[in-house]
Amino acid sequence: MELEWAGVPSIAIVHEEMRGSAQAIARVSGCADYEFLTVNYPWVPIAIWSKEECLELAEIMAPKVLAALTGQN
Amino acid sequence: MTTATQHAYDSYEALVEDYFEKGWTDGLPIMPPTPEKVTAFLERAGLSGDEVLGTVPTREVTCTAEQAAANAVMAGCLPEYFPAVVAAVRAHLSPKGNCHSTTGTLSGAAQVVIINGPIRNELGVASGAGCFGPGFRPNATIGRALRLVIRNVCRGIPGFLDRASYSTPARYSFCFGENEEASDWEPLHVQRGLAPEQSAVTVHSLMKMVEATDFTSRTAEGVCDTLVSNIRANGIAGDSWLGEDGNVVIVIGHEHHRFFIEEGWSKSDIQQHLWPRLNAPATSAADRMARIGKPEGILIVAAGGAGMGASWLLLPHLALAITEPIV
Repeated sequence: MELEWAGVPSIAIVHEEMRGSAQAIARVSGCADYEFLTVNYPWVPIAIWSKEECLELAEIMAPKVLAALTGQN
Repeated sequence: MTTATQHAYDSYEALVEDYFEKGWTDGLPIMPPTPEKVTAFLERAGLSGDEVLGTVPTREVTCTAEQAAANAVMAGCLPEYFPAVVAAVRAHLSPKGNCHSTTGTLSGAAQVVIINGPIRNELGVASGAGCFGPGFRPNATIGRALRLVIRNVCRGIPGFLDRASYSTPARYSFCFGENEEASDWEPLHVQRGLAPEQSAVTVHSLMKMVEATDFTSRTAEGVCDTLVSNIRANGIAGDSWLGEDGNVVIVIGHEHHRFFIEEGWSKSDIQQHLWPRLNAPATSAADRMARIGKPEGILIVAAGGAGMGASWLLLPHLALAITEPIV
């Protein structure tokens, strides 16, 4: 949100299990409608991800990030 | 009808200050145990005030239902919590609950109250995120009521019969529910011989809490390896008086639970897998035997919220975990 406020197009990615706290932060920051992308299982929320897991997730998330930033989602 | 001595106060503040002065609290304010409230609690549990819930022979202590009710009121319980408090007091004061040792010990052991069955949802006992901590009235006050009974009835007063070198914040209150809805795992009280529809408490004497974090495993066996290494780093000595029935409680966290469910492990599977590994001979001071007499002595409980790849090990003091129905 701070990047957005600074004029930098941005999108936050949070784990599904942290959706509630992300929404709470958005609400107390005066941006209750702030959108973010979520990651879900099999990616464990707090974990030491292997390089392979990271790459696999990146391949899934990159198009979603691009779509969100360009308003195509 | 109460038989206890009655005191009159001009204000709530005066009452609380007098209770502090007399040493009748755990250091926090209490609710006034008025005769009306004590009677309401007893009626809720269907008990007469003079019914004996248990004794501590070494201390010349007999705990009656009226005494337990007064302390439950003081702890901030609602009347509907009182049957759970009664069950917890009965469990703690059963002979192998070993009240005298576990509340007098230098180690500062705490008493953990685990709640199972329909009453969890009826009372709103927390079993998910934050369930070990503050914010949930049933958890906070049922556990506190047991501790106030230990203090005010069983004479477990710091510097008197409570000889803890440090004690622990878990002695203010430590009560949570099992998250029975998280999976089809058999709930703790059913594993211990009660019907699923029967509500129950299990009181466990806690020597030490150890967080078994594991952020790398993605399998049930990997999580079990972490549980074993963490328990064996501490060791469990066992005790001839307790015999083969000793316990350790393992609270399986949400993220670890997921792997067991995905791979179809039951609680019994975990017990059978862990038992020989815990009881294997020590290999070093950092890898000690955890002497548990039977696989069934490893009590598996599902609780806690999502996020952390962690389970909690509730290592025992010199007592058995006692399961008591809530009636």
